[in-house]
Amino acid sequence: MEVRIEDLVKRFDDVVAVNKVNATFESGKLIALLGPSGCGKSTMLNMLSGIMPVTEGKIYFDDRDVTMLSPDKREVGLVFQNYALYPHMSVLENICFPLKIKRVPKAERIEKAKEYARMVHIDDYLDRLPKELSGGQQQRVAIARALVKRPKLLLLDEPLSNLDAKLRVEMREEIRRIQRESGVTTVFVTHDQEEATSISDYIMLMKLGVKQQFAKTRNLYNDPANLFVADFIGNPTINQLHGIYEKGNFRPDAYENAIPIGRYQIEDGSRVVFASRPESVIVEKKNGKTVMEVEETYVSGKDTLCVLKAGDGRLRAYVDNDSAPQEKDLVSVSFRDRGVFVFNEESGERYYE
Amino acid sequence: MSKKTKRYNGGRDPDEKFETSMIGKIALFLGPFMLGIVIFTIYPFINAFLMSFKENFSILRNTFSGWGLANYRKVLNDPIFLSGLKTTIKYVVIVVPISLIISIVIAVLLNNTRRFKAILQTAYFMPLVTSTAAISLVFRFIFANEGGLINKIITTLGQTQINFLGTNRWSEFVLYIFGIWNILPFTIILLLAGLQNIDPQYYTAAKVDGAKTLDIFTNITVPLLSPTIALVAIVNSISAFKVFDYVFQLYNKPGPGYNLYTIIYYIYEKFGGTKPQYGHAAAASIVLFFIIAVFTLLQRVLQKKTNY
Repeated sequence: MEVRIEDLVKRFDDVVAVNKVNATFESGKLIALLGPSGCGKSTMLNMLSGIMPVTEGKIYFDDRDVTMLSPDKREVGLVFQNYALYPHMSVLENICFPLKIKRVPKAERIEKAKEYARMVHIDDYLDRLPKELSGGQQQRVAIARALVKRPKLLLLDEPLSNLDAKLRVEMREEIRRIQRESGVTTVFVTHDQEEATSISDYIMLMKLGVKQQFAKTRNLYNDPANLFVADFIGNPTINQLHGIYEKGNFRPDAYENAIPIGRYQIEDGSRVVFASRPESVIVEKKNGKTVMEVEETYVSGKDTLCVLKAGDGRLRAYVDNDSAPQEKDLVSVSFRDRGVFVFNEESGERYYE
Repeated sequence: MSKKTKRYNGGRDPDEKFETSMIGKIALFLGPFMLGIVIFTIYPFINAFLMSFKENFSILRNTFSGWGLANYRKVLNDPIFLSGLKTTIKYVVIVVPISLIISIVIAVLLNNTRRFKAILQTAYFMPLVTSTAAISLVFRFIFANEGGLINKIITTLGQTQINFLGTNRWSEFVLYIFGIWNILPFTIILLLAGLQNIDPQYYTAAKVDGAKTLDIFTNITVPLLSPTIALVAIVNSISAFKVFDYVFQLYNKPGPGYNLYTIIYYIYEKFGGTKPQYGHAAAASIVLFFIIAVFTLLQRVLQKKTNY
């Protein structure tokens, strides 16, 4: 099912939690609502589920306007951050509960519940109480309970934040698998960019209630709409140099040499931020180009992360292990065309070539 | 000095003086309380237990003819005691469940309303802070034969008035209402505390699953409240088994026709009156003690079962 939101607004007294958000979530995709805490992502999720009334705007499920409908009429499955499994019911009873409410005959609902228990790999624990399960197992039960009523939309609120690091990686792959297997349109909330980028098809990045960018996960990294997006996505974070744009060149404040960056629609003398992904920084043996000192090096897998002294600032660059410089070495630095962006220093808006 | 006291020395250097001074302090703080308990609870309990086995016991002369089960034989074959037991059990069986059901409904409603919360909380708290003697006076006025509130309404409606306080059938009915009324506030408070311990997320989860108010009440609220319900049911049963003051305050005797003669009334009368029979009173007390002990054990079992 396709989800469309139009000019969605949520106000709490004076605080605007969600501000005029528009988006269309394609059917059958996994969508991440990403942003720092207080960005309105959970509020968005609660409005999609129907738990929280909308202040302004519309929500459509396919062509049906569901803005004023209660949660059960929207046919959504919701997985809570702390799972909210009923403590007095066994795993099987928990999964059966939504069907019991729908007055599905007992034999049928047990059969269905077992089917979904198998799907989330919890079928060995059907008689256990929630308190007898680990966090990851409780998570699986919560997902099965949300899926058993065949919702049109599955919503997960910070699904992995209560799990330990190892389980988190395992469960995010599980969520991906379960989503693919069930084919249900899924929206999940997270503040962890790695979590979002590793499993989702699309990401909506938000800040202070405002949508920053909604795009395919890969595009968010390769084609950020503004400085906030470029800064939020990517680990290590994107390099940022402040300076002045002049006739196709960027003059950083931090050091002397200008960087040729090509023609942008920018007035000469404007203040801009020149941002570059660490893998877009080219580090070579000292030659005629900009020279910097290597401050620190970290080997991670097949690459080495070099921290370079760029005047007062720092540049991070990924270099192949074989050609990696030593600490204290002087190297020449230039930039690739890919993975470098220019932003307005004040507004953070991106300039295009 | 033992290792245990060395480890628990309040952070000071361990020495002999410390230990003795500590015992002194413990005695100082616990003493008065323990003295009260020993004099008014433990000694009477042991004494009553022993007394129940003393045959032909006289409290004034402190003489008895021998040890034995004669008192128990007498009490358990006494038709007055057995009818008292029946009256008491009937009271428990009627008052405890009805008051519990009313309390659950009121507590859930109170927990869900935001408006008038302060007024409502005062209202249901009133019976608890008002003395039962005062409430009994009001009850007597409400149910009085001549000029009573309810009889005035009945006669205004053209019906013949009912002798609430003077007939066996109706006096029983008034006692039950009085009993229910008096235990409501305490029950509601405990249930409200239990309700406030339920994570509201369960209600939200159930609503998302399409559960209606009644579904939520039966499938979520009541099961999650069951530890509190079990506790309240047992505590109320125990106090209902000891019913005496409500009867006394309403009627000054065990009901208009000796029809509200409870176990405690039996014990009370055996202890006093013109021909006191202390041994019988003690034996009846011990029988009641064992009934209550069974309920206390039941509470333990129930609480373990409903511990999520």
